[in-house]
Amino acid sequence: MATLNVAAPMPVTPRQHRIRWLFGSPIATAGIAVVVTLFAAGLFAPLLAPFPPNGQTNAALQGASTTHLLGTDEFGRDVLSRILYGIRQDAIVAVVSVPAGALLGVSLGLLTGLAGWLDTILQRIFDVMLAFTALIAGVTVASIVGPGLPAVLVTVAVVNVPLFGRITRTSVLTLRNRDYVVAARVVGVRPIRLLVRHVLPNGVDPLIVQLALSLSLAVFIEGAMSFISLGVLLPQPSLGNMLQKSINYLDRNPWYAIGPMVVVTLLVVGFQLIADGLTHRLLRR
Amino acid sequence: MIRYAIRRIPSALLVLFLASIAVFALIHLAKGDPAALAAGPDASPAEIAAKRHQLGLDDSLASQYLNWLRGELTGDLGNAYISGGSIGELVRNGLGNTVELTSGAVVLALALGGAAGMGMGVSRRRPVNAVLNALTTLAFAVPTYVSGVLLVLVLAVIFPILPAGGHESLLRDPTIGVQYLIMPALCLSLPAAATIARFLATSMRQVLDEDFLATGVAKGLKTRRLLFRHALPNALPPVLTIVGIQIGQMLGGAIVVEAIFAWPGVGQLLRDSVLDHEYLIVQDLLLFAVAVFIVLQMITDLVHAYIDPRIRTEH
Repeated sequence: MATLNVAAPMPVTPRQHRIRWLFGSPIATAGIAVVVTLFAAGLFAPLLAPFPPNGQTNAALQGASTTHLLGTDEFGRDVLSRILYGIRQDAIVAVVSVPAGALLGVSLGLLTGLAGWLDTILQRIFDVMLAFTALIAGVTVASIVGPGLPAVLVTVAVVNVPLFGRITRTSVLTLRNRDYVVAARVVGVRPIRLLVRHVLPNGVDPLIVQLALSLSLAVFIEGAMSFISLGVLLPQPSLGNMLQKSINYLDRNPWYAIGPMVVVTLLVVGFQLIADGLTHRLLRR
Repeated sequence: MIRYAIRRIPSALLVLFLASIAVFALIHLAKGDPAALAAGPDASPAEIAAKRHQLGLDDSLASQYLNWLRGELTGDLGNAYISGGSIGELVRNGLGNTVELTSGAVVLALALGGAAGMGMGVSRRRPVNAVLNALTTLAFAVPTYVSGVLLVLVLAVIFPILPAGGHESLLRDPTIGVQYLIMPALCLSLPAAATIARFLATSMRQVLDEDFLATGVAKGLKTRRLLFRHALPNALPPVLTIVGIQIGQMLGGAIVVEAIFAWPGVGQLLRDSVLDHEYLIVQDLLLFAVAVFIVLQMITDLVHAYIDPRIRTEH
């Protein structure tokens, strides 16, 4: 038997509201803790890493020890140090490409609200972009600009455009006939201002959930492209290209593989947890 | 239904046509001159020009595009620019293996996802649900290049029961072939299995709340019959939609899985062709991947509309 909760909620200030909104779900809080810790470790890699990431030594493929906590790779480089520097590649992709793709996607999504013919054209463009699944898009971009970090940056941005575009379009469609939007239009608010200032702020919740999902996708794409030699190029360390090489030495130093595996999983799952928590709080009220 | 198909198929064909233009145009943006690459590093400008003419690269872009499209539609994929090998033969060799891999993965995804989804949808016991929920969350989120390396580490290195990589045709030697297939297929199937499980669980829970199931219980139907003959068929339509999309995504996933397990499929061919600047092979395979995705999506929509008439009346 559930008891009815009749107590009125305590009034909250906007700032408290913002904090509760982000940390209100324990799942999201756990995700934020994991992701922030790992990205901070990557940011402070020069201070934290016990060895230079590309410092080769004769001690190749050693197991875990007190000097090399995760052992060394085939060139005697410290695996832990390379992981810390490898996280930076993901951080760059997350900070640069995801916002760029999101911004472009949201802008195009808003444009669909301006005119019917524009909507039709953009819809077809999104359809074509979505037909390039994440890795097929990665291969396409890598064959145009050549393998490397730039290919990863472009791929992640491009893949996100139709995802954000579609969500924004849905918001535009559902919100533009609301009374307050109609009222704003009637008093003469210009179409673009109407979309940006009146429609967009009320359609922001699903976009924030998508942002968390896209960050997870970004880490996935970086790893996958680097794993198949189309992403971050050696000797520059990335979690994906470390895993690719480690597979040949699993019997000599398994930590070479386990380290990057754990970090990639924590990042991907961490962002996913944030998305799950936010979905719960924002979309299923 | 036919009216819905008449509306749906042309729009899929339009997207396919636009995608073919996109693939063609994007690959032509690639830096590097295929003629110069094909003629070799010591070629004189005249030799490069001759090569360009031979490859048809001095035609107008429009006629190059039309020639390419005609070749794709008639199954004549031409010869690779640099190696000169028949692309049709390369693709045929790899495609059989990739189809083998994805078929194995689809079977596993349906079996694992179906079982987990039924478990989560039906069981009211908290521990069962919590464990299955955590497992599907992990299987969904963990990238194939992590689960694949983990499988190799556990099943080929620590407990050497399966080969770490390679391929043996199932038709030539089924017992050996299956041993090579298990790990790659499992690895490729996990994200799809998790997605299927989640959709099936949600759908089952909704159906189990329907009145007709209470009637079934009241008139004394056996639980098994109630679940599999009454609840499951009504829970399947939304799951079918997601299965189609998951299969469409597997071709992309196969690129990574084939790289982990040294599986000689079209994913490996595509990756190697990008690294070797074999632009024509890349162009052919990209169009193929995009076409598979679009066609599967279209079929899924049609099947969905066939099962659920409400879809047909939507704009």
